[in-house]
Amino acid sequence: MGGVKRSIIKMATFTGSMAPVLVLWLAMSLSGTWAVDKGNFKTCDQSAFCKRQRALKPGDSPYRALLETMELTNTRLTLQLINDNNKVRLLLELYRLQGNMTRVKINELKPLKPRFEVPDVLITEPSTEPLSLLSQDENGVVLSLGTESQRVIISARPFRLDIMEGPEVLMSLNSRGLLAFEHLRMRKDTQAEPEGEKKEEADPANQAEKEEEEKVDGMWEETFKSHSDSKPNGPSAISLDFSLPGVEHVYGIPEHADTLRLKTTDNGDPYRLYNLDVFQYELYNPMALYGAVPVMLAHKAQRTTGIFWLNAAETWVDISSNTAGKTVFGKMLDYVQGSSETPQTDVRWISESGIIDVFIMLGPTPKDVFSQYASLTGTQSFPPLAAVGYHQCRWNYNDQEDVASVDAGFDEHDIPYDYIWLDIEHTDGKRYFTWDSHKFASPKEMLQALEDKKRKMVAIVDPHIKVDSNYKIHNEIRNKGFYIKNKDGGDYEGWCWPGSAGYPDFTRPDMRAWWASMFAYDQYEGTAENLYTWNDMNEPSVFNGPEVTMHKDAVHGAWEHRDVHNLYGLYVQMATAEGQIQRSGGVERPFVLTRAFFAGSQRYGAVWTGDNAAEWDHLKVSIPMCLSLGLVGISFCGADVGGFFKSPSTELLVRWYQTGAYQPFFRAHAHLDTPRREPWLFGPENTALIRDVVRQRYTLLPYWYQQFYHAYRTGEPIMRPLWVEYPQDPATFALDDEFLIGKDLLVHPVTEEGARGVTAYLPGKDQVWFDVHTFQKHNGAQSLYIPVTMSSIPVFQRGGSIIPRKMRVRRSSSCMTHDPYTLYVALNLQRTAEGELYIDDGHTFNYEKKEFIHRRLSFAKNMLSSVNLATDAEFSTGSWIERIVILGASKPSKVTLKTADGQESQLEFDFDASMSVLTLRKPGVNAGLDWNVMLQ
Amino acid sequence: FIILPPDMHFHMIIVAVFWFGFVDSRKIRGISSSYKRFFRERKSFLCIDGSKIIPFEQVNDDYCDCEDGSDEPGTSACPQGRFYCTNLGFRPHYIPSSRVNDGICDCCDASDEYNSHAHCQNACWNLGQRERAYVEGQMRTLDEGLQLKQQLIEEGVLLWREKQAQLRELQQVAEDLQTKLEERRSRKQEADRLKEQTPRPPEAGDGQNSTVTGTFKLLDSNKDGSITVDEVQAKVALVHDEERVLSEDEAVALLGGDHQMDLTTFQHTLWDILTNGGRVKVSALSNTFLFVFLSDLREKLAIDYGPDWEFLFLNSQCYKLKVYEYTYTLCPFNQVTQQSTAGTEVSLGRWGMWEGPPKNQYGRMVYENGEPCWQGGSRSTTVTLTCGTETALRSVKEPSKCQYIMDFQTPVACQPVLKQRGIHSEL
Repeated sequence: MGGVKRSIIKMATFTGSMAPVLVLWLAMSLSGTWAVDKGNFKTCDQSAFCKRQRALKPGDSPYRALLETMELTNTRLTLQLINDNNKVRLLLELYRLQGNMTRVKINELKPLKPRFEVPDVLITEPSTEPLSLLSQDENGVVLSLGTESQRVIISARPFRLDIMEGPEVLMSLNSRGLLAFEHLRMRKDTQAEPEGEKKEEADPANQAEKEEEEKVDGMWEETFKSHSDSKPNGPSAISLDFSLPGVEHVYGIPEHADTLRLKTTDNGDPYRLYNLDVFQYELYNPMALYGAVPVMLAHKAQRTTGIFWLNAAETWVDISSNTAGKTVFGKMLDYVQGSSETPQTDVRWISESGIIDVFIMLGPTPKDVFSQYASLTGTQSFPPLAAVGYHQCRWNYNDQEDVASVDAGFDEHDIPYDYIWLDIEHTDGKRYFTWDSHKFASPKEMLQALEDKKRKMVAIVDPHIKVDSNYKIHNEIRNKGFYIKNKDGGDYEGWCWPGSAGYPDFTRPDMRAWWASMFAYDQYEGTAENLYTWNDMNEPSVFNGPEVTMHKDAVHGAWEHRDVHNLYGLYVQMATAEGQIQRSGGVERPFVLTRAFFAGSQRYGAVWTGDNAAEWDHLKVSIPMCLSLGLVGISFCGADVGGFFKSPSTELLVRWYQTGAYQPFFRAHAHLDTPRREPWLFGPENTALIRDVVRQRYTLLPYWYQQFYHAYRTGEPIMRPLWVEYPQDPATFALDDEFLIGKDLLVHPVTEEGARGVTAYLPGKDQVWFDVHTFQKHNGAQSLYIPVTMSSIPVFQRGGSIIPRKMRVRRSSSCMTHDPYTLYVALNLQRTAEGELYIDDGHTFNYEKKEFIHRRLSFAKNMLSSVNLATDAEFSTGSWIERIVILGASKPSKVTLKTADGQESQLEFDFDASMSVLTLRKPGVNAGLDWNVMLQ
Repeated sequence: FIILPPDMHFHMIIVAVFWFGFVDSRKIRGISSSYKRFFRERKSFLCIDGSKIIPFEQVNDDYCDCEDGSDEPGTSACPQGRFYCTNLGFRPHYIPSSRVNDGICDCCDASDEYNSHAHCQNACWNLGQRERAYVEGQMRTLDEGLQLKQQLIEEGVLLWREKQAQLRELQQVAEDLQTKLEERRSRKQEADRLKEQTPRPPEAGDGQNSTVTGTFKLLDSNKDGSITVDEVQAKVALVHDEERVLSEDEAVALLGGDHQMDLTTFQHTLWDILTNGGRVKVSALSNTFLFVFLSDLREKLAIDYGPDWEFLFLNSQCYKLKVYEYTYTLCPFNQVTQQSTAGTEVSLGRWGMWEGPPKNQYGRMVYENGEPCWQGGSRSTTVTLTCGTETALRSVKEPSKCQYIMDFQTPVACQPVLKQRGIHSEL
């Protein structure tokens, strides 16, 4: 949905007091018809703390480690740092965490008042491992990081940290001297004196501060456009630099509409992390978007590492590289590596408030990093199977009749779908948890009609609450004092869809519990089990706020909005998902889509890339955007198929379906002002193209579902860049026009208008890949030109893999529950293959109680067998093995099936010699049992 | 196809089914009687497209052997397959094989869910009854509609003739006026030449509309019961300089300082000015009004009102429907508007053209160029005409922003050909 555009339409209907706002927004919309108005969003220069911090140039750090203050216990090391310029002391904490991670925390030793530390993002307090002191002198300390030859070197003067493995430096902190910590201070014009012992050493410090404050504006107040930020706590920014020797490729820190491989930021703004409702966002720039995950991955052929900067305030990330620019690392590296030519990437994080709390994930493989990050923030929630199907959305399906006719259209055109969506217009005047009494007069009947077709619905629930004393939700939130407060202590009010709106304080556990309880069937009237939820506008979007979001001096209990901003969206989705779980008594899995997100949001549902546009470049960028999210744990990602703003050409729409069908979250969506675009509105030929690709999605649901299970178990991305599977092949490092689903399917969507062909890189030197449509075999480690027509979607199955499909595509995924499987066995050059099959009930949490089937399928020595991977799990299925298709096979003389009870029978088969495809007819065995098939 | 009364047709189906039932002892699920010949029990089965021969026991064995899906008419195994619902008591029809045993009742005889958890009831008899009642109703409507249509056609013809006569008459008047004007122009030129000083006696509408109401109506071009600045400017002229259009200020002054004037006020103010030989008079050029009316009439008569002018009666009629908070008004061949409860009226399009499919050319109207939309373009309305005994607006939808769809029912949309088609497709 489009924050701003909508607001104009809406506000045009308001009168009187809203006139200035209306004028403001109209002006905004007129100034940039089809692009973001950059003037509405801050550059680093316009964000006082960013400007201040960025003005610091690399050089000698004023910080010195006071080694005599070092304390080493079994679980942590603490040590004080002192800033020689102002004598303010910091406390460094260093932890060795289980799973090859190091945590570095830096806070003020004695802050004037507590500084914010991000709660609720880590799933538990991370387990520590012992640190041991290897050596110490007046210049520094060397600590051992466990059994490997990993060490941490703490240098005292100036302070820096180096993490090494053997002779190799993996990462250095403050090696460029950019550690900065704006300590909390009393405002000078208040005349109040700081208390306590700090006072003694405060005199020279105060002197320095005064000079500092005279030079720099924006420490105690800041204005942007017409908005002023009162900053009652003064400056509080933090910054730290990280050097990554040998690294030329860094990834992550979503959300940006940019390439997968992050660019250097020397000649422009840093990448910004600040959840914002950006109207008609532009591509290929570092501007902030709806979500923020402060996690960066650094990759080189030998090692992948990660940096998790746990801070929820506005954050900027600078990236520079000596291979791009030529800044040379310190002497130590030269000494260690004996060369000054080593490529290196330098990264610097700047946040407005809070503390430095950074997790250094040391890999060494990409999958190790995923598992390390997952151990901190959790894995992708395991969605109901139906949510992996196709979603049909539009702003708006107008009324129940409209819903019924779109639903019928899918049947008429034999296109499957699982969810139909209702945007904001379904409510009674944008009062969430209600229905428009005319247009949706009997929602339960509507839901029942969908249920009768085994289909589901999603209705939107946004976190802005209409200020209306006749609205129950508002009254309760107000009476309970659950609204976020403005700086003067009253309930914060902003403008959003309903007009004047309050914003519940989702950072409060009691507020979240209350919100969750609102999803109970007796609270949220007109709902049923097949109604799920969409949380939009949860950055939060405030139409008349600074940068279309909340004032930073708004108050969440003890904290300012400034401290918690990037967390808000996560909490909204957390509380909503909890509500869905509770309404079923903890039985059913929730499905909640969110636009805003933070580290850990993967635990609560799906994410989409917000209000994109019907343009080819937006189709292209959907790939790196979702890949970047996957790398930082958020696998359930998709972009609005067709593009939200504007109207796609038929070719673009078809290509978008073809791309979206191979991305994790597959939903078509369209702006209110665009013409209808249900799949059958573009002539029979295009209907057939769209039908075909949606059906491809449904045949692959068993594979997708298994990938979700895998992501839930391991934290590995579902949609992944090629380098994750081929970390030593530099040709893969910057690829973002193709991707893998799991490790076995390679997809290179057609994203060029009028394309006659695409060039796909097929990785793996001794690998083969099979075109899933023609079964043609191609060698790996080559760029392959593939001629395409409108029906082409270049997809390849890796030789050596087994992919289960269900070929009986029905109206919805639930209709296919009991259907049989076809196994696609693609042989590698060693004539082996492996795969998995995961089956459960598809919608409850019973998988947590070991009610599932998980089998390993393997082909070796001419025998395909199914063995149990989870012997302690139990589930029964009616599904059976319908067909086995072996790619790259030779013709057998006889095929024998052997079942668990020892029975043997001959299978009929068909061999296509031209493509070397062997099809085994109807093994008929139950998919949950042991069996094998022998080719002779 | 012979048109049979519905119930007789029904008996025939029963007979047919029983007969086939006795002939074929082995039940092949999911096929129609006409396909039974492909499924006679033999050793082997030839796929209907001739592509492959398979052992007969592989027919309906829940595995797809034939490319065309013909070996699995009764299961969900073939992606291209279809399943025949016999639907005794209702209409037989095919469903895609993917709907066999999917847990959803598709055939009213429940035959598609022979192996699923769905609890399907045989609903064919009820459906059949409802359908027969519906078709009967439709047929009654059609009969009645056709009769009404005949009347409307007759009225239409009369109306057409009347309008044609009116047109001829107006053309005559126009010609006369033209001649008069020419005469007067030459007289005036002559007079100018002679520099004649005395003002001519007042002329009120060239004597044709000498009554108060007549003049008022003449001035009130849009017939809204009040005269506006535009209307004054169009038809009131200076006695001395008939060619010059009055300025807005002058017009406002004539309207007594206001922007509009109703008949009562007119009678006591402007009428006096006009008749008392002041500075102004009803312009002789007000025959432009006549020409506007004339061209309007010509334009209206140029519209295609159907082969028998059966749609002519809709002209000058308006039909309203309230949907949620809006009242929609369709004035056929003129315009479509939407009025909110707050009172603001928005044009959803002006008459564009007929846009029915080739088979039913008069089945759809398009109204275009309504109020502009936020995102560019303008509002438009597509009106679908359906057969009914009354003429009324039945539904309005806005599937996409600014694109409206109306269902408009009227006897003149009833077509005899529909009667035959109805029976073929409905029973």
